[in-house]
Amino acid sequence: MGVFLKADGINKSFGGVQALKNVSFALEPGEVHALIGENGAGKSTLGKIIAGVLRPDSGQIVLDGHETSIQRPTDAQKLGISIIFQELDLFPNLTVAENIAIGNLKLEKSPFVSFRQLALHCRPFLDQVGLDCTADTVLKELSIGQMQLVAIARSLSMDARVIVMDEATSSLTEDAVGNLFDVIGQLKGKGVSIVYVSHKMDEIFRIADRITVLRDGSYIGTRPSREADADELIQMMVGRELSGKGRAEGHATTSRILEIADLSTDRLEEVSFTLHRGEVLGIAGLVGSGRSEIGAALFGLDKISGGTISLKNSPYSPSSPRDAVRKGIGLLPEDRKLMGLIAQMSVKQNMSLASLDGCSSGGWVEEAQESSKYLAAAKQTRLKTAGPDVEVTSLSGGNQQKVLVGRWLMVSPDVYFLDDPTRGVDVGAKEDIYAIIEELAAAGKGILFVSSELPELLRCCDRIMVMHNGRMTGIMDAMSATQEGIMSLAMAMEGAAE
Amino acid sequence: MKDRFLAVLKTYKGPLVLVGIFLVAVLISPRTTRGEIIFLGLGNLTDMLRAITPIAIMSLSMTFVILTAGIDLSVGSMLALSGVVTGTLLVEWDPGLLPSVQIGTAIISAIVACGLVGMLNGVLIATLGIQPFIVTLAAMIGVRGLALWFSNNERIGLGVGSDVAGSFGDMFSGKWLMIGTFLVLATVFAVVLRRTVFGRYVRAVGDNALASRYAGLPLRRVQIAVYTMSGLLAGIAGVLLCARTTTGDPNAGITSELDAIAVVVIGGTSLAGGKGSIIGTINGALIIGILTNILGLRNVDFNMQLMLKALIIIVAVALQRKKVSN
Repeated sequence: MGVFLKADGINKSFGGVQALKNVSFALEPGEVHALIGENGAGKSTLGKIIAGVLRPDSGQIVLDGHETSIQRPTDAQKLGISIIFQELDLFPNLTVAENIAIGNLKLEKSPFVSFRQLALHCRPFLDQVGLDCTADTVLKELSIGQMQLVAIARSLSMDARVIVMDEATSSLTEDAVGNLFDVIGQLKGKGVSIVYVSHKMDEIFRIADRITVLRDGSYIGTRPSREADADELIQMMVGRELSGKGRAEGHATTSRILEIADLSTDRLEEVSFTLHRGEVLGIAGLVGSGRSEIGAALFGLDKISGGTISLKNSPYSPSSPRDAVRKGIGLLPEDRKLMGLIAQMSVKQNMSLASLDGCSSGGWVEEAQESSKYLAAAKQTRLKTAGPDVEVTSLSGGNQQKVLVGRWLMVSPDVYFLDDPTRGVDVGAKEDIYAIIEELAAAGKGILFVSSELPELLRCCDRIMVMHNGRMTGIMDAMSATQEGIMSLAMAMEGAAE
Repeated sequence: MKDRFLAVLKTYKGPLVLVGIFLVAVLISPRTTRGEIIFLGLGNLTDMLRAITPIAIMSLSMTFVILTAGIDLSVGSMLALSGVVTGTLLVEWDPGLLPSVQIGTAIISAIVACGLVGMLNGVLIATLGIQPFIVTLAAMIGVRGLALWFSNNERIGLGVGSDVAGSFGDMFSGKWLMIGTFLVLATVFAVVLRRTVFGRYVRAVGDNALASRYAGLPLRRVQIAVYTMSGLLAGIAGVLLCARTTTGDPNAGITSELDAIAVVVIGGTSLAGGKGSIIGTINGALIIGILTNILGLRNVDFNMQLMLKALIIIVAVALQRKKVSN
């Protein structure tokens, strides 16, 4: 079979971070081609570039031997390339038929709509994906699996020859996944090619013809799935530079600061672990595996439905983040912009936000006190700023993150939950953050350190626990852990971790 | 030199609009037969300030509400409620107390009633999570009904004279008392916003509520507090308006919530929350005050005045917006 779609030498960066480095990728007709890699490997970015959602900085997309100049999704649509996102970009309050028709160049020929005609038009596509609902069903009445099928029907109605599916099964039940795979099998038979972006190893072996691995934005290799084995793919995903030497010596004591037993929430199932004073406990797992959700439960954001927590030897059940902070827990959120920064406030005001109670008397901010505490935290984080009063958004990503780390240093809780603290942060700032974690451990704090980067977990942590699907699949000493072992547990593969 | 001039211009756009309007007012002001500029007369300037005082007072707390990314549409109705409560307690209530005690009771009752309405707004917004626009829209309708019901659909005239109601009117309609009340409140609000923990929280919550939650701030308490303050200040404005007009009018203050919002917006406070200042709001109040005053002096048709105000709102906000970048 010949190559049908080819991406050639694709480069793409966001801000200063290069998401794709000279990546090439070839797709055959009627092929299901999986794109796999760790969080941040660039697989979704490549999928979006193929579908015209993002534009590459350089590189070519060649379709049927012709160079294309895809500027936007509608250009890709005209060429028969469409994308289905993880969070379906459908309209919950419109009908199935309207969802298929909206923004659909093949159907939107006049400004007027005949609903009867629309329904007739949609029927064959709904049949193709095996969806037995009427075209005038309102979308939100369907299950997520059914919505997924609507999205595919929409792609088909645009004469799609290539469908990019980005983490298509992340919110589907087991039955719905099976159903989706049947549909994908039929599409293949009709010559439709699927780019299947995923990090679920078992699914990839079930569905893909070929597998391409990306790591840190680079192309690593392509294997026919019949010949590939999981261990080899994981090696390709995590890389060979096994610098994972554990810490020389930690600060962990035997004094328990946080004990969690059978903790359950809507997104967690019976998670148990103990954190000691001076210990850095790493939490590994893929996005959505339950690692951030542990923080949400500890910080009073998610309702705890079962299990017990004890903090400093007394029972702990937070009613709100405020309550959690009062009782000695600090949480550095994963999304700096959305959950962390107050964009219109200064560097100093951002840093002192959570500890104003401690820099005030009778409700008045004691500016001298605030400034001296700020200076101490700024020094500890090695913050680089033009001054305390500049807007926080003027700082680099790494320094913005240091402001948020500093926010908790000023509060000085007993337990720190750091959710991917080095995400999107430059190398220098990363080192500074590692140093802070080390200092906190030395000071006898308990630290929970979530990360997508296994080398940094191996380097900074005393122990590492691994999450998958809301459950803890393993906990191990960092000294004896390997990246491959952690990755296998994160993907919940049988008998992987030795 | 030119660059510095431009930089100064950029920093002080709001006050520049004010200075511009002031100069235009001086230029187009009618003159007395002796050639004096009427607009600049002390009597006229203080009249202007007194006229804008009720709106200006409400716009102080409205600034706080808008800083939290909220809105309070009910202040006009609360203003009316305050007026009819004051009027009723002065005219139709005869407790046989000292006049000063009765006047004090009336004023405090009116302000507290509005404060309670504001607190209810805040509690509904903070605990039920209903949008502020909807909660305060309902309050705007309901409280207007309450004011009309309380006054039997009638205006309560205080009359003039030496009785309790008359002396209340004399006492609280004085120019310097009204302007002074505004100045004191403006100072308090400016200081609270700049110097207190609460002021910080107000800004933080409006700028990024989720981040504020993650920092452990008391989101609900902040919301309840700003709407309660909004009620209290509408109450104070209502008492002053009642004294000034010697009437407790259940139909007072219709659309004045929109005037208060306009003042805040002209003052450079962002409806998206997190950005704004009391100084800006004072500036906005003065712009609207001068504009209304000079158009009155020039006998410009009221309908034309509304159209000109619309223009000023757009121009003032357009000048102050952050440069849109790509």
